[in-house]
Amino acid sequence: MITLDTISKRFGSITAVDGLSLAIEPGEVFGLLGPNGAGKSTTIAMTVGLLSPDSGTVRIDGGDPVDAAVRASLGVAPQSLAIYDEMTARENLVFFGSIYGLDGATRTRRADELLELVGLTDRARDRVKGFSGGMKRRVNLACALVHDPRVVLLDEPTAGVDPQSRHAIFEIVRELQDQGRTIVYTTHYMEEAQKLCSRVGVIDKGNLLALDSVDGLICEHGGESVVRIERAEGEERVQTAEPLAVLQRAAREREHDGRAGRSARSGDSLSESHRPEPQGLSGTSPERALGREQRHSRACARGS
Amino acid sequence: MREIWALATKDLRLLVRDKGGLFFTFFFPILYAVFFGTIFASMSGGGGSGTKIIVIDEDRSEASASFAASLEAESQFIVTPMEDRAAAQEIVRKGGQTAFVVIPEGFGDASIFQGEPMELVLGVDPSKAAEAGLIQGLVTAKAYERLQDLFLDPDIARDMAQDSIASIDDSDLNPAQKLIFKTFLNSLDTFLVQAPEAGVFGGDDAADSEGDGGPAFNPVSIQSVELVGDEGPSPYAIAFPQGIIWGIMGCAAGFGISLVTERNRGTLTRLRTAPMGRSRVLLGKGLACFLTTVGVSTVLLVLLTAVFGVTPSSVPLLLVAVLSVAVCFVGIMMLLSTLGRTEAAAGGIGWAAMIVMAMLGGGMMPLAFMKGWMITLSHLSPVKWSILAMEGAIWRDFGPADMLLPCLVLMTVGIAGFVVGSKMFDWTEH
Repeated sequence: MITLDTISKRFGSITAVDGLSLAIEPGEVFGLLGPNGAGKSTTIAMTVGLLSPDSGTVRIDGGDPVDAAVRASLGVAPQSLAIYDEMTARENLVFFGSIYGLDGATRTRRADELLELVGLTDRARDRVKGFSGGMKRRVNLACALVHDPRVVLLDEPTAGVDPQSRHAIFEIVRELQDQGRTIVYTTHYMEEAQKLCSRVGVIDKGNLLALDSVDGLICEHGGESVVRIERAEGEERVQTAEPLAVLQRAAREREHDGRAGRSARSGDSLSESHRPEPQGLSGTSPERALGREQRHSRACARGS
Repeated sequence: MREIWALATKDLRLLVRDKGGLFFTFFFPILYAVFFGTIFASMSGGGGSGTKIIVIDEDRSEASASFAASLEAESQFIVTPMEDRAAAQEIVRKGGQTAFVVIPEGFGDASIFQGEPMELVLGVDPSKAAEAGLIQGLVTAKAYERLQDLFLDPDIARDMAQDSIASIDDSDLNPAQKLIFKTFLNSLDTFLVQAPEAGVFGGDDAADSEGDGGPAFNPVSIQSVELVGDEGPSPYAIAFPQGIIWGIMGCAAGFGISLVTERNRGTLTRLRTAPMGRSRVLLGKGLACFLTTVGVSTVLLVLLTAVFGVTPSSVPLLLVAVLSVAVCFVGIMMLLSTLGRTEAAAGGIGWAAMIVMAMLGGGMMPLAFMKGWMITLSHLSPVKWSILAMEGAIWRDFGPADMLLPCLVLMTVGIAGFVVGSKMFDWTEH
């Protein structure tokens, strides 16, 4: 179990984390959701013992993360690609295995297993510098797992990756979850948290704004989505629990109006002017969701 | 220890795959050493100012004192008078001074008219090839000035001529030769009486005027003393330690930059999440740097022996020197890694610091070309002590006691640099 008890961290005049408390259960996939600069990475750094909290305590299975035994149970994939470009994927894995004290045979076996897990067996002997961003991310993740840790901390593991690698990383996280590992997953994509995490803590400016399951958060703080459609005659706003259905209906109308316009007067721009312009789903983008969480939090604070 | 070894081998692997780094670590120093070794081999002289020499006056005569004073008056010499020739020779052999000049007993009694030249003994540090020719030239010039004084002082010249006439009868010359020399010296004696009356030695112009040249004779004899072996050290033996130091400086700069790279790329953060202390991570980096510097030294020393035929005077002491230098530059590497936030900054600052150390330590130009205060500052440069330790074991015939000081300085710099650098690195991380 990971317990953060009112931890705070300041860098000069900036408060990165401000009295944050969390309890993450064994086997749980916990999402730490927040925009850039929210304090997610600082929280991770304090969780793994890289930074000491100015106040508060961090415990992992009751132990201090500064202790070697506790650290041996942690696997960390930092946000930056913490691998060696001039080494092959296999060499990276074997090296990180060696600094965790694995013997030669175990290192080799774990390297093979993890290359298989991240889908890079056929590129095992290639230097990482030739890999795509997504492939490097997968190696970065594999290096965090080489010593078979009970707790895995993934700091924005999908930052800057292609959809294929992103999907592969999701699959890996699910497999890790199936293996019973505790996973802390930081992201600023609500979609990722929704797909992977059993619970999510929303953090901004070092404060925990909300803590619940994704569904619970949306239900409690998100409400229905608002679809905004721009038409020639003006903007239409539709509040709905099924935003995709509204968008599809608007698209069909546009298609229908377009055909009608072309049959009446070929090339008439009037038909185009009637084209509905779906602008997106208000309330489901992470930024809007986070903004809403913040507003809600302030409202709660004022109410209390 | 296994973890530290893993970290070190990782860094060595990265070094091997960095072709540019590999060139500057291993091949550039070889080029440097061969290039300058070849230059030194063909060098016949040089120039400088403030060359430190020791003068030993064994004659203790008025003439020797006058000659010693003339050396002290020479602006290009910084003269230290001593009495013990052996001690002076040791100092020069160990690189403490550039040369020694002995004014041996009998210097003041030498009579050029009897074929007795003024004798001097000169010993020059073999590593100061650039200054050797200059020193010999200046000493010879001072001796000829002394000779000129003799001729310009008729009283001294008459004494010498009359001494010579008196000794002709006891000489091994045959009667015909005795007659010729007596006739010549009596004529000279008469000339030396009449010439001052006629104003021949009247003014400074006389001293400056040039004659037509006379019969070839050598009134000044400078005996050179080889301080090391019969023929002195090979020029490559002198150049290679400097080449090694350049290679080692490249290693230190490279590993210092790699530490900054690791910090900026996040690999250091990942290493620190492993179950080992921060000190082990830094020790791993230090071990890689240490092994590489030892490797560079070994490669160049094997080349020096195998290709250029130089046999170190003491292999065990050379090993001590190599290890001391390696420890020293590991500490310097740690300090350099804290000097810049970015790789470019660390590289720039690091190399600037290295070049200053090399300049002050005599790694770029002979110390003789420097001002006095710079020569004093050179004691602060690890490059100076590194070169001295290497030279001591290769050709200066250092004993264990001689090696103690340079190796102690190097080890102290290395350990202090590592400790302070580690603290500063920790501080800069936060």
